[in-house]
Amino acid sequence: MTTTSASTDQPAADHRDPELRLRGLFDAGTLRLAGARDNSGVLWARGEVDGAPAVAFATDATTMGGAMGMDGCLDVVDAIDTAVREHVPVIGLWHSGGARLAEGVLALDGVGRVFAAMVRASGRVPQISVVLGPAAGGAAYGPALTDIVIMSKAGRIFVTGPEVVRSVTGEQVDMERLGGPEPHGRRSGVVHITTKDDASALEQARALTALLGRQGRLSPADVADQTEGHDLTKAMPAEASRAYDVKPVIKALLDAPGVELHGKWAPNVVTTLGRFAGRTVGVIANNPLRLGGCLDAASAEKAARFVRMCDSLGVPLIVLVDVPGYLPGVGQEWEGVVRRGAKLLHAFAEAVVPRVTLVTRKAYGGAYIAMNSRSLGATAVYAWPNAEIAVMGASAAVNILHRKKLAAVPPEEREELRATLIEQQVQTAGGVGRALEIGVVDDVIEPEKTRLRIAEALANAPAARGEHGNIPL
Amino acid sequence: MAEEIRAEMVANVWKVVVAAGDSVEEGDTLVILESMKMEIPVVAEVDGVVAQMAVNEGDVVQEGDLIAVIED
Repeated sequence: MTTTSASTDQPAADHRDPELRLRGLFDAGTLRLAGARDNSGVLWARGEVDGAPAVAFATDATTMGGAMGMDGCLDVVDAIDTAVREHVPVIGLWHSGGARLAEGVLALDGVGRVFAAMVRASGRVPQISVVLGPAAGGAAYGPALTDIVIMSKAGRIFVTGPEVVRSVTGEQVDMERLGGPEPHGRRSGVVHITTKDDASALEQARALTALLGRQGRLSPADVADQTEGHDLTKAMPAEASRAYDVKPVIKALLDAPGVELHGKWAPNVVTTLGRFAGRTVGVIANNPLRLGGCLDAASAEKAARFVRMCDSLGVPLIVLVDVPGYLPGVGQEWEGVVRRGAKLLHAFAEAVVPRVTLVTRKAYGGAYIAMNSRSLGATAVYAWPNAEIAVMGASAAVNILHRKKLAAVPPEEREELRATLIEQQVQTAGGVGRALEIGVVDDVIEPEKTRLRIAEALANAPAARGEHGNIPL
Repeated sequence: MAEEIRAEMVANVWKVVVAAGDSVEEGDTLVILESMKMEIPVVAEVDGVVAQMAVNEGDVVQEGDLIAVIED
């Protein structure tokens, strides 16, 4: 075979090449570099993602390990400011050892300017970070300040590397264990999405850019009839006492599978971005499979940040509620379940985007309030026919309220009395009837009409967008 | 790498679904716990082979207790 192209004689391209990475992010043929390549250590460009314009920058790991000096930092600031001016998403591709040591304080000043630019842009345009290699020191906080952080298999984020850790604390740890996908995906909550390779990391960044950058319009007519694959009850067990995974329910709710954020961190709450009746929405759902669906300190914080991100970017919310309460325990109290739970109350009460709640099975106590209740300003609160809304489960309430009465009867009559009392309790304080009566539930809806009713409620609410940044709570 | 599955909360072990030596896929139920008046399945988070089952039906597990070990 004869060679017709000179390129086959060249060595294989370095996978760390920033231009190559930017090409992988944008639609083919749409990349337009801003300025010529120099040795600033950063390359930025305009381009398109799924046909919609976006801005992206990449640190150049082929030069000094991607270390950032003042010139490179000013390139990043340019990229972010341009995205804000042009109202388009900005994506950062990170592979950087941090500030350039040779530049000293000048480099620190540059990195600080990058942080300030990110905060200026926060809540104004979507900011997505993709960590493809080590992002250390100053480069660690860059991604952390943005809305969504995606980490590829080789990605690492840490403030101080293994050698410093070893010399100061004596802890023996490698880069992956210290700041790889496992610790950040599961333990720290720094990373929203982990991927098996660079290509899928860029693919997820593209999907999120499309969802947040081109949100679409709600079209309730599109979900008027329940179609194949959108039966929400199919994914739920018939027995009310059986826990289930809420993710298939979310899948049935959305038009097409969405993108879950923080999938392995605080998994008792699920936060997913996806299309619903043609429009981008954020879904927040309790997951009974994990911790029985209880809210706890970490999951409340995770949900709060998601709510504030969606509110700041104008993304309406759908809240699926099946929550037995807050997780009890000394650990929870000491971890700040009160302070971190307060973030969720604050986030929902502050949110101005349309936000609709559906209680599928149960909503008890303080967790009922926190999950976008009527009192926090929900656009609409719906419940399925068998849903229960109460301070606590009816049987638990009876045991407390009627302890003396139960103790007074002979043991053989006790269970019968308990059953009667539970029935009365459900009628007076639980079930959904009382919640309807006092107006904290707007309507009881049939599961097969769920998508339509939620779409109508969202569509009829005035479009709004919170005027605040998205601090990484 | 061995994946240790640990209890997330205090619970009774209601049913043990798999045994050591079984192959499991991500999402497969390993045991069903009873806690907060709910039956809560504990599922595998990785594909692999069950190397060890550390609980029996009727056991009470505390938060952090080992339930199973799965080898990739």
